Amino acid sequence: MLKIEHLTKTYGEKKAVDDLNLHIMPGEIYGFIGHNGAGKTTTLKAVAGILQFDAGEILIDGKSVRTSPLSCKREIAYIPDNPDLYDYMTGIKYLGFIADVFGVSAGDRQERIRKYSDLFELTSDLAQPIAAYSHGMKQKLAIIAAWLHSPKLIIMDEPFVGLDPKASHLLKGMMRDMCDAGGAIFFSTHVLEVAEKLCDKVAIIKGGKLVRSGTMEEVKGDDSLEEVFLELEGE
Amino acid sequence: MLGILLKKQMAEIFRGYFYDSKKNKSRSKAATAAYIVLFLGIMIGLLGGMFTLLSLSLCGALADVGMDWLYFALIGLLAVLLGVFGSVFNTYSSLYLSKDNDLMLSLPIPVNVIIASRLLSVYLMGLMYSMVVILPAVIVYWVTVSVNAGVVFGCLLLMLLISVFVLTLSCALGWVVAKISLKLKNKSFITVVVSLAFIGGYYFFYFKAQTLIQALLANAAVYGEKIKGAAYPLYLFGRVGTGDAFAMAVVSAVILVLFALMWAILSRSFLKIATSSGRTSKKEYKEGAVKQKGISSALLAKEFARFTYSPNYMLNCGLGILLLPICGVLLLWQGGAVISAFNEIFGERSGSIPVLLCAAVCMLASMNDMAAPSVSLEGNSLWLIQSLPVTPWQVLRAKLGMQLILTGIPALFCTVCIVFIYPFTPLELISVFLVPASFVLFSALFGLFLGVKMPNLNWKSEITPIKQSACVTFALFGGFAYTALLCVGYMLMNGWKLGFAGYMIGFGAVTLALCAVLYLWLKKRGCRLLASL
Repeated sequence: MLKIEHLTKTYGEKKAVDDLNLHIMPGEIYGFIGHNGAGKTTTLKAVAGILQFDAGEILIDGKSVRTSPLSCKREIAYIPDNPDLYDYMTGIKYLGFIADVFGVSAGDRQERIRKYSDLFELTSDLAQPIAAYSHGMKQKLAIIAAWLHSPKLIIMDEPFVGLDPKASHLLKGMMRDMCDAGGAIFFSTHVLEVAEKLCDKVAIIKGGKLVRSGTMEEVKGDDSLEEVFLELEGE
Repeated sequence: MLGILLKKQMAEIFRGYFYDSKKNKSRSKAATAAYIVLFLGIMIGLLGGMFTLLSLSLCGALADVGMDWLYFALIGLLAVLLGVFGSVFNTYSSLYLSKDNDLMLSLPIPVNVIIASRLLSVYLMGLMYSMVVILPAVIVYWVTVSVNAGVVFGCLLLMLLISVFVLTLSCALGWVVAKISLKLKNKSFITVVVSLAFIGGYYFFYFKAQTLIQALLANAAVYGEKIKGAAYPLYLFGRVGTGDAFAMAVVSAVILVLFALMWAILSRSFLKIATSSGRTSKKEYKEGAVKQKGISSALLAKEFARFTYSPNYMLNCGLGILLLPICGVLLLWQGGAVISAFNEIFGERSGSIPVLLCAAVCMLASMNDMAAPSVSLEGNSLWLIQSLPVTPWQVLRAKLGMQLILTGIPALFCTVCIVFIYPFTPLELISVFLVPASFVLFSALFGLFLGVKMPNLNWKSEITPIKQSACVTFALFGGFAYTALLCVGYMLMNGWKLGFAGYMIGFGAVTLALCAVLYLWLKKRGCRLLASL
């Protein structure tokens, strides 16, 4: 589903991501862990086609992000760490806008909006301007928008920040359901307990370089993910 | 405690002089000094100079007929108006909407101390604007009329009372705005209407002021007696400046009572207003019929939603939408008078009048520059258009489309009105439509070009990209300059030798050629720049 090969991105003199390689298969929830400034967001933004990278290749479902950005973007959804949405739209207008851009039919969008907004208890707020939403409500709206066009791959940067426990639980269920249906999820998190329980595979990045990756068992062995992470950070 | 808060308030008020929020770093000493000099130049040189001249024209004439009080009443009233005008827009936000409200209220600081520190910034703002009027007036009076200690004391007291009265009025209006704002729906639309009414009223009185002053000076004694009879408080207010002890005591007492009342209202309601969410009653969502749009329509609708959401955006970048049809209707109504007035001045050179009329359409059209700040206005949500399956060109085309629709339709209406009031041959008719149409296209492309070249995505207030950005300034004045070129080229640079139709078609063709250059730049480099932001 997603192949990142020798990805390198520099900001001035600093290498934010250095020769990163990752493969994510359909059906996998892939966690991405690292300290602040390790290069997680840069990698996720490059995959989402937001950041242009210096070297390497990113393939989504066999198509290159560099040469076929639109084809790739049609297959994915991206949720940033801070959901800065269009404050001047109401929730429903925003969802309508996203559905229009992805060409979701009127029937499908109505059904999905109803399903997910009911699930996140956001239905009654959809007529409100996004400017009046709390951080958590914006995050929920961004999640609904991401699921609206049934993408094959969802890229999320710290998706659980700002969500209440119930919404977090729902999101985890949605992530699992999507991957069970053949989709894939690539997300960053600082909550190692969540990663440990939710992810099929995990990658740890440090100073822009991948220091460990694989199935959860391969990465942590008999230790906890927290112990492994702290040990790698200390090296 | 109050001292600490005052220091913080001062740092906030004058932060702009020492800190460049766009570059997110401190200004150099030279830049700070330049900003301060510029500010002083405008306040003292321009506004102060203007009111000094006004005082000079009024003082001697009124003092000669024993109407000193009328002089102080008029100038004092002007000072109050300017003081309130200058600070009222700031009062609501600085009193109730400060970003540090939650922090301040969580600290062990009495609410009254927080209010007092906030009031100081309102007071300083009002003081600054009112002193620009009253201070030169007092100095002019002292120089023109012989004064004694009583008059000096009266003038100083008048200045103090005016500043307190301005504070009281500003706070009262700020409180009203706060109360209304908590319940108001369609704030953007109402704000635009009120602002336009305010601007219209201002210009109406501005143009009437000269006539009124002349009439007043010619009949000072008569008007003075009438005002004294009909508005005795105003008479007393003016008498303060002349050193009248009774007037000083009464006016001081009234203003102090009003101030105390305002303080009491503010103290009782501050906490409630400052901690309210500002939300109006919630509108319940009801599922309705859905119509699927194409990508281009969706992006265009997004641009329109952005524009209509913000009163600042509409007022600063869309005045032409309103002015073009108004001028069109005025032309239909008073076209004959306009043409004969133009004829008296420019009648010698044939074709000058339609050139001027077309230039007027272009000038008004250039007041629409919504495309210029539209890239910057993406701000923190830029990631959306970058991560969605849309091309940069589709995004730019939507921004362009919004300006073309919002300017093209009113400009077309205004041009049709010109055709109704002025006789044209068929060839001239084509040229009359060609020039405004090509200009509308040019100004949209030019504004967008500047917007892509000079984006500012790191703003905290939307006023920054809308009102204070270089691209909007260049787009506006660039449009004015290009319009001026249309007239200058015809009247002063031998354009008239080509004949009206020939010149206009030539000008339109050059404009279209420039449009082609800008269009190609936007499609290639502009798209690359947008993608890399």
